[in-house]
Amino acid sequence: MRKANFIVSGVFTALAVFIIVLSLTYPPSNHGVPGPGMFPIIIASLIILSSLSLFLTTFRMSKEADTSVDLKSKNVLNVYITMVGLMLYFILLPLVGFVVTSTVMLILYIKWFSKRPWWKTILISVIFVLAIFFLFGSVLNVPMRFGILI
Amino acid sequence: MLVEVLASVFNIQIFLFIILGVFTGICIGALPGLTATMGVALVLPLTFGLEAVPGILLLIGVYVGAIYGGSISGILLRTPGTPAAAATAIDGYEFSKRGESGRAMGISTVSSFIGGVISVLALWLIAPQLAKLALHFSAPEFFLLAVFGLSIIASISGNSLAKGVLCGALGISLSFIGIDGITGFPRFTFNNINLLSGMSFIPVMIGLFAMSQAFNTVEGIFTPDQVTQKVSHVWPSKSDWKIIFKYAPISGLIGTFIGIVPGAGAEIGAFVSYSQAKRMSKRPELFGTGIPEAIAAPEGGNNGVTGGALIPMLTMGVPGDAVAAIMIGALTVQGLQPGPLLFTEHTTLVYSIFLGMFVANVAMLILGLSSLKLFVKVLSIPKTILTPMIFILCVVGSYAINTNFFDVGVMLFFGIVGYFMQKADISVSPAVLGLILGPMAESNFRRALLMSEGNYGIFFTSPIAWVFVILTLFTLLGPKIGELLKKKNQVA
Repeated sequence: MRKANFIVSGVFTALAVFIIVLSLTYPPSNHGVPGPGMFPIIIASLIILSSLSLFLTTFRMSKEADTSVDLKSKNVLNVYITMVGLMLYFILLPLVGFVVTSTVMLILYIKWFSKRPWWKTILISVIFVLAIFFLFGSVLNVPMRFGILI
Repeated sequence: MLVEVLASVFNIQIFLFIILGVFTGICIGALPGLTATMGVALVLPLTFGLEAVPGILLLIGVYVGAIYGGSISGILLRTPGTPAAAATAIDGYEFSKRGESGRAMGISTVSSFIGGVISVLALWLIAPQLAKLALHFSAPEFFLLAVFGLSIIASISGNSLAKGVLCGALGISLSFIGIDGITGFPRFTFNNINLLSGMSFIPVMIGLFAMSQAFNTVEGIFTPDQVTQKVSHVWPSKSDWKIIFKYAPISGLIGTFIGIVPGAGAEIGAFVSYSQAKRMSKRPELFGTGIPEAIAAPEGGNNGVTGGALIPMLTMGVPGDAVAAIMIGALTVQGLQPGPLLFTEHTTLVYSIFLGMFVANVAMLILGLSSLKLFVKVLSIPKTILTPMIFILCVVGSYAINTNFFDVGVMLFFGIVGYFMQKADISVSPAVLGLILGPMAESNFRRALLMSEGNYGIFFTSPIAWVFVILTLFTLLGPKIGELLKKKNQVA
C-alpha cells in the first residue's frame, strides 16, 4: 500500500498543479465577487495539502504495517484484458453498430469466462442483446441510432 | 391533495413498477458483487422514458429491495450481497451452519420491513418540516450547508481522512468542467464541445459504481460459485417475533438518523445498529454465534437508512448516500430540482414518493416471505454470464441519457479509475457527493458575494448560517479533539 499511496499523492498533486495553472489564466475577481478560477484554485490547494498529508503519513508508516496491493497477478491481468476488450468495443460500437458489436463482445466474454458450448453462448448473447435493443429502442423510446449496421 | 396522491400511487401500473423494482432490487442485492448503488445506477436509464412518479418509485423499489436482498447471500454464503449486509452475514451464516437459514431470513425480512417502515414514517414527518425551514435558506445558508455536507463526507469516508478528502475534491473538480454558471466562461473544456455543458453526472456514477464493480468481479471470475442450501420455515417463531420487536424499531431509528447524515450509507447504519444491539443485549457474548437479535438489528438499521437518506435529498438537494445521489440525477432528468421548492411546487409528487416507498416496503415483506426460494435460486446465476451482461447494461445506460457516445467513454474511463481507486483503498462515494455538493457550494458562495457586493460578513448574519458553521467545525475538529483528550487522559 506504501507504493500505491505514493502514486496516489503524486497523481493527485500533478492534477492539482494542472488545475491551478489553467485557473490562473481565467478572468480575475470582479468587485469582490470571485471569478471562475477561484474555486478551482481553492480545491486544488486542498488536493495538494491532502496529498502531502497522505505522503507524510505513508512515509512514517512502519514497514510491518504495509499491505501489498495486487496489480500483477493473473487475476488482475484478466481485468486488464477485459478493459482493453471493452475499449475496442467502445471504438467499434459507433462504426459497426450496437447489435452486431455487442453480440460478438458478449459471445467472446461469456466463452472466455464460462467455457460453455458455443451454441449456448451464442444463444444467450443474441437473446440478451436483442432484448436490450428492443427494451430501450421500442419500449423506452431511447433512440438507438448506433453505427452503420444495426 | 390526498385523493390525488392516493390516485397516483394506488393504481395497477404504479404497483407493478414498485413490485418490479423491489423484485429486481432483491435479486441484485442477493447477488454478491452487485450492490444497491450499482443496481439503482443500472436501472436508472429505464426511467428516462417514464413519468416522474413511476420512474422514481421504480428506483426506490430497487433501493429498498437491494438493501434487504443483500442479507440473503450474507446468511447463506457468508458473502454479503451488498456491503450493507456485512454485519448480518456474521451471525446469519451461523444460522445456516445449523441448518436454520430459513429462520434467519425470516427474521431479516421482517426486521428490514420494520426498519424500512420506520424510516418512511420519519421521512413523512421530518421532510416537510425541514423543507419549510429550507425555504428560508438563501445563498449563504446553502453554501454553508454544502460545506457541512462536504466536511462529513471527508471525515467518515474510508480508513484515511486524506484519501476521503482527495476523492471528494476529485468530484468537486469534475464539477468545474463546463460553462461557469455565473460568468458564462468555459472552464476545463479543452475546446471539446462535449464538455461545454459539463461532465454528465450519470455516466460518471455508472462508471464508478457499476463498471468498476464489474471489473472487480472479473478478478475472481474463474473461482467457482458457492453452492447454496435449501431454505424452509421462513415465518419467524413467537420468541423470534419478540426479539424482532425489541431490536428492529430502535435500529430503524438509528438507521434513519444515519441516513440523514450526508454521505453515511446503509453499511454504516447496519454496523452502528449491530453494536448498539450488542450494548443493549443481556447476552452480548453470544453475538457472532448466530442469535436472532444480531440479525434483527443490522437489518432494521440498513433498511432504516433508505428513508433517512431521502430526507436531505428531497428537502435540500443534499444526498444522504450514494443511492440518493443517483436519485438526484433521476429527478433532474425528469426536469425536477430537489430542494424546498419541490415540496411547494410538486406536492403530489413528493407525497406519492412517500406513500410509494411505504408500498415498496410492504412489497418487500410479501415477496421476502413468499418467494425466498426463488431468490435463493437467483444466487445460482453464474457470474461468468452476468458480468459481461453488466458491461452492456453500463454502455447502453450511459448512452441512453443524451444518446451521445462521449458519455459511454466517460463511463468507461471512470469505470477504470474506480477500479484502481478501490485497489488503492479509496472509497468512491465521496467523489459522487463532491460532484453534487461542489457546484452547490461554489454557485451559492459566489451568489452570496454578489448579493453582499463582496462582503464576507454575509455568511455569518443568520442563525441558521451559524448552526452550519458550528456543525462543520464540530465535524472537522471533533474527532481530533476526542483523540487529544484520550491521549491526555492516558498520560495522566
